[in-house]
Amino acid sequence: MAILNITYDGMSVDYTRPIDERLTDADVRRIAVEVIRSGELRGLHVAGLTESAFTHYVVDRLRTAGGGMHIYLRPKVPFGGR
Amino acid sequence: MLIVFCGVGALGSTAVTLTRNLDATLRLVDFDRVESKNLASQAYVKQSVGKNKAQALKLQLANFYGVSAEAFAVRLTEHNTQELLGGGGLLVDCFDNAASRNLVSAFARQHQVPCVHAAIAADGTCGLVRWDDQFVADAEDEPGQATCEGGEHLPMIGLVASVLARTIQEFVRDGRRWNSFLTPSGVVRT
Repeated sequence: MAILNITYDGMSVDYTRPIDERLTDADVRRIAVEVIRSGELRGLHVAGLTESAFTHYVVDRLRTAGGGMHIYLRPKVPFGGR
Repeated sequence: MLIVFCGVGALGSTAVTLTRNLDATLRLVDFDRVESKNLASQAYVKQSVGKNKAQALKLQLANFYGVSAEAFAVRLTEHNTQELLGGGGLLVDCFDNAASRNLVSAFARQHQVPCVHAAIAADGTCGLVRWDDQFVADAEDEPGQATCEGGEHLPMIGLVASVLARTIQEFVRDGRRWNSFLTPSGVVRT
């Protein structure tokens, strides 16, 4: 399992429920849209977020020191989230 | 130690000024010139407008702080990596395009030179400082896509540059290699 972190509009929030680390990038983007729309992410709630909000975002998968995985959904650098 | 800064725009020029106290030789590589618009987001002063960035920063370091540096006013290509990056004990990538970043990475991997990358999103929403083993350069969605040029996100530029400078400082001091992910709300070591 992995911890999903979503960075959007200057906010960066961890999703409290672990997700399957084998999810595809497309799945990660879809889940991000769903949890932001639903208000499950504390401090990051956009009810009208579009399906394509994360089309140009990057999915980073980093191993933690403890052997777990952290998945980061973030804007491209240096181009931003468009 | 020779520290080679590849790209001295917003992040690079600011990080260089924050590493001026290190017991190291600083080499600055950038082909670009200082424009008036850069004064809002980069560590250049009005008197540097029109000068090559690497040479202008070298002059500023000498005139303001008495620090000497090497300046190479050329574009990094596959033909001059040895000349520009060779001998470096640490490569610091602050370029703003994937092609140049990949050149630095390739040289670092081939010659087993420590290399750290720094990047910031054009909209100021995030930045990162990552060592080469964890770094993949983000590709453009289209050629010539805009990057962070104005001064709108200067505090975020300062934050990323200061984390980069601290990362360099810790590496020089004891070899530690921290990766960091940054947003306007904080810094997380990853």
